[in-house]
Amino acid sequence: MTTHSFAVDRAFAIIALKRKLAYRWNWAFSIGFGALGLLVGLAVWRSLIGSGSLGGYDWADMRAYLIIGFLTGTLAWGGSDWQMADRILDGLISIDLTKPVDFQRARAAEYIGSMISVVPTAVLGTVAAFLLFRPAPPASALAAGLTILSVLFIFPMAFCVNYLAVLMCFFTRRYLGIQWLKDGLLSFLSGLVVPVALMPIWLQGLCWALPFVHFTTTPSNIYLGRIDTPGALGLIAVQAAWTIVMWYGARLIWRQTIKKVTIHGG
Amino acid sequence: MPILEARSLSKRFRRPDKKSGFNGALKHLVQRKYKNFTAVDSIDLEIDAGESVAYVGPNGAGKSTTVKLLTGILKPSEGTVRVMGRDPHTERIANAHDIGVLFGQRTQLWWDLPVEESLKLLKHMYRVPEAEYRLRIERFDELLGLGEFMPALARTLSLGQRMRADLACALIHAPKMVYLDEPTIGLDISVKDRLRAFLRQLVDDGTTLLLTSHDLADIEEVCDRIVILDEGSIAYDGPISELKARYITTKAVHLILDGPADLDALREKFPEYEWAAGQAASEAVATYETVRSTTAEVLGHLTARLAPRDLSLSEPDIEDVIRRLYAGELAK
Repeated sequence: MTTHSFAVDRAFAIIALKRKLAYRWNWAFSIGFGALGLLVGLAVWRSLIGSGSLGGYDWADMRAYLIIGFLTGTLAWGGSDWQMADRILDGLISIDLTKPVDFQRARAAEYIGSMISVVPTAVLGTVAAFLLFRPAPPASALAAGLTILSVLFIFPMAFCVNYLAVLMCFFTRRYLGIQWLKDGLLSFLSGLVVPVALMPIWLQGLCWALPFVHFTTTPSNIYLGRIDTPGALGLIAVQAAWTIVMWYGARLIWRQTIKKVTIHGG
Repeated sequence: MPILEARSLSKRFRRPDKKSGFNGALKHLVQRKYKNFTAVDSIDLEIDAGESVAYVGPNGAGKSTTVKLLTGILKPSEGTVRVMGRDPHTERIANAHDIGVLFGQRTQLWWDLPVEESLKLLKHMYRVPEAEYRLRIERFDELLGLGEFMPALARTLSLGQRMRADLACALIHAPKMVYLDEPTIGLDISVKDRLRAFLRQLVDDGTTLLLTSHDLADIEEVCDRIVILDEGSIAYDGPISELKARYITTKAVHLILDGPADLDALREKFPEYEWAAGQAASEAVATYETVRSTTAEVLGHLTARLAPRDLSLSEPDIEDVIRRLYAGELAK
């Protein structure tokens, strides 16, 4: 990688960030809905858990789980997958292909740039929720550090999942159905809606065999100490491995797809 | 050695073969059928450095598809393309450094940001040094009036401003080979004139240009050579002057008379012209051969005898030439 490449990546990320901030109400509403989801989650799980515990989560643990879910969910849905999909569906990809940049890398820089737009509110919201709802503290200082590392992996993983979903537009010519499927898999199999520990064993197996679980369950398990330090490091290594597999998998799909691109009209 | 070389270049697309109506939609859902459609059919094209070539044809002739093949966006179904010695599809990124592309119907500006931001991103992409970037922006401002809308959001620009900004985007890295796909579409006369003068200057400075347009004036003012495409194949390739000498041999005078145009009387009185009715009842159109009479002679003759209220002059456009070429009226 050259210095120039990073300069281009930074330029793409900044442009995407500015584009996201250009629509401040859209941005504000999406954060607001995330906060609403957190409040609804807290109310539902408060009544379900009461003074006992479910799947090994007591009420303090569940508060921590839901707040981490708010943070990871805000980040995971913070990017602009629709913008990527629209460029393919509207044929604007023909402009992108006349530029001297690696298509996937440019889209990654843009996507991560758009995700950065939600970082301030995601962090502020998380801090406010911690102060307000007093959840269980991290299992240790090391666990807190590893949780942050695990959350950082959401940036490249979210791009890869969304980019792979967007590439399907070349085959389906529509994005809406693909987006519903991707969002459904991501929210359910990550444990964002129901913690994976509460799912049937076979479904837990499926969750752990897919990348989605590393969006919410992995960071919250590390934070709450539900796994020891070697296990936490192992899960972070799996997040890195998924990132690499999805990144190069997307490259393989792209190589096949680009041969079949059809852009009609001027 | 040519800067661009295409040999037996073809592109076929697969199109759904779907019957109309609800039954057709249901049938297509269960049993998918497709038809092959040839957009570009075995084209041979060579362009030398510094040439300005107009690539024209009716809608659906394959102009834009050819541009996409030549720029590396699409992979040819058959044949080869070399641009500055490279395959533009497999060596897309290296090729993109040396080419500039403008699609008149698609903008490369970031829609929700100021024009300046798009140009700055392109500066990074093409590694344009800051001093050169500033010089080029100054030149674009001088020739295209870019400065007046640099701080404006792309979505707020008029079509003419958008096209000028897009042209600056396509040329910010001083490409050796430039492809312009309908750069004047939808523009008013003054903006068109400004763009044409700018493009002519670009060609005079040594840039190689391939231009697609439906506008004869674009072609005449900017290009020296014309390639006419129809149904995916090249129908004519040669100097514009030769094409005009061979095919555009008539002009027409549109006369608005005081009363209804009596074509029979006009034919009898002026048998040297071919007469036709115009759009209004009082309009008569006299067509004359340019090799037999000059425009000044015809205008002088007709105005002196008919004293029309108004008149205008027209000549066949490129599409008309193509139509006549394929209708067999003109020798290919």
